[in-house]
Amino acid sequence: MSTAEFEPSVETLDRVEVLGSPTEGQPAPEIELDARDLSVWFGKRKVLEGVNIAFPKNSVTALIGPSGCGKSTFIRTLNRLHELIPGAALAGEVLYEGSDIYSPEIDPTHIRLKIGMVFQKPNPFPSMSIRGNVLSGLKLAGIKRPNHDDIVEETLTAAGLWNEVKDRLGATAGELSGGQAQRLVIARALAVQPHILLMDEPCSALDPASTLKIEETIRELSKDITIIIVTHNMQQAVRVSDYTAFFLAAENEPGHVVEQGPTTEIFGNPRDQRTLDYVNGRFG
Amino acid sequence: MSTTVFEKDRLPELQAQQRKRPWRKRPPVFTWSVALAVVIPAAIAAVLLFSTSIPDPIVMVVFYMPLQLIAAGVAALVSKGRHGVADSAIYVLAIGGSIFSLVVLISLIGTLFVNGLKAFSTQFLFQNNVYINPTTSLDYGGVGHAILGTLLVVLISMVFAIPIGIATAIYVTEVRGRAVPYVRFFVQAMSGVPSVVAGLFILTVLILSGALSSSALAGGLAYAILMLPTVARTAEEVLRLIPEDLRTGALALGSTRARTVLRVVLPAAKTGIITAIVLGMARVIGETAPLLLVIGYSDSTELNPFSSPISSLPTYIFANVDQPYPNAVTRAWGAALVLIILVGILFVIARILGRGKVK
Repeated sequence: MSTAEFEPSVETLDRVEVLGSPTEGQPAPEIELDARDLSVWFGKRKVLEGVNIAFPKNSVTALIGPSGCGKSTFIRTLNRLHELIPGAALAGEVLYEGSDIYSPEIDPTHIRLKIGMVFQKPNPFPSMSIRGNVLSGLKLAGIKRPNHDDIVEETLTAAGLWNEVKDRLGATAGELSGGQAQRLVIARALAVQPHILLMDEPCSALDPASTLKIEETIRELSKDITIIIVTHNMQQAVRVSDYTAFFLAAENEPGHVVEQGPTTEIFGNPRDQRTLDYVNGRFG
Repeated sequence: MSTTVFEKDRLPELQAQQRKRPWRKRPPVFTWSVALAVVIPAAIAAVLLFSTSIPDPIVMVVFYMPLQLIAAGVAALVSKGRHGVADSAIYVLAIGGSIFSLVVLISLIGTLFVNGLKAFSTQFLFQNNVYINPTTSLDYGGVGHAILGTLLVVLISMVFAIPIGIATAIYVTEVRGRAVPYVRFFVQAMSGVPSVVAGLFILTVLILSGALSSSALAGGLAYAILMLPTVARTAEEVLRLIPEDLRTGALALGSTRARTVLRVVLPAAKTGIITAIVLGMARVIGETAPLLLVIGYSDSTELNPFSSPISSLPTYIFANVDQPYPNAVTRAWGAALVLIILVGILFVIARILGRGKVK
């Protein structure tokens, strides 16, 4: 859905209240992941500058902003996928449970195990069955957990796919539709029991029904894990997130966070004029 | 403009619609011009073939093909206008080209069958060449020992070339180390090595130095030199086609690099890797020159791949084909037929292995 059509109505704002967003006066939430002064380069080009975002435990944070402002790049620095790109560089630190995930003694595979990720394009492993895909994380990370059948059922149910595939768990993952494949990779990410789940536009290729299911899943999951979601869909940000960070990049300049805070504030009462314009669909 | 709603009372009429294929209908001018464009060149070619002494290939290539091109062009001009001419030319050339290669292939295999089947019998497949001389009747002796020899040599070369070849491809596409450009350069250079040079290399380095005697092992090593670049390059191409998404996806699940390659990338590329192996096998199985230098010759069935001279189908063919006795030449044809069938069987086995089931 194009952002230009969005007008924040009384109705959507009411819904945010219903979801129970953090309000002032409550004790400060526990921070699980904390990006501090994070700047990112591709080769010599600086794409992100001085990003400071703290992600409270068991909350949903939406990252919004126009294309090319570095949201996806940022999210990939949070589980050390950024460094896989040739020429990548980075400054600042990302604190997870109090220690920098980029310090030399940290094993990136360990970080990625705790901080899972769902990508924009569904990427189920074609050589494996539906069941095999769900369990692939355990096999790939060398984790031994009993009751594989229970894991498969639990995670597929959480991802809203169980009823559609329970009779053909042995079928190739390639047979699934785009929306089903995306829910499958969400189940796959959940099976390794991450503490944090990064989602890079998980619904951009999905129909409204699948999107709704995934949003319900996100709300449900946020009781137990921290979720960080990149989205271009304003209503989605309002529907699922507790906090929102608005990224923006001027032409030929690195992106940075213009404004961040509780989702109700960002959408209902933004302080920066650019945020107001963006969430009301006036540019971007 | 006002909105319209589906008219329910038209339903019976719509449900009664017949299946049609309107795109198959051609205007009469198209049908006629195509019919003439097919019949006229064919008729002229038939006349030239049967009533003149011009050799058949010349009739087909010098007269028929250009005529057919012109006729198709004219037909296209008449029925579709100028933009159809290039289309028709490509059509004729594509069909002509594929028929040409098909004819070459069929006549080759046909000749092989016609000549080879004369030698063919159960005993030809299972007996060896002991007590057989070039004039012995075709009722005695066979190529069983040579089939076994070829299988042994190819098997040994696969043991060496496939792991190294796939490891090379993984280094180039997955590990992406600093030496990638050099590795690729050497693999490319290796694929240009003439087969006789591979044989000479094994002969001078391993056999004349006394490290090895003429044997299936020596032959397998020579074959491995030839097979390695084919396997490495094909596997590299195949691994390159695996989407980056899968690798990042696996890494994002907390997988190590090694597990990503072994459990995600290689299984996804399984069919292609098997193709690489088959191509490697096909590259070497008929090579004669290196084997002449390094495996020696034997008429009896040899099972020791490490030290005894052994026979193989290519060297058996080589030894028999230039004999002045018709029975020996027929035996060579028979062995050539066996070789082709062997290649076919190996292809089929590889395909079946490549299909597999998902886990």
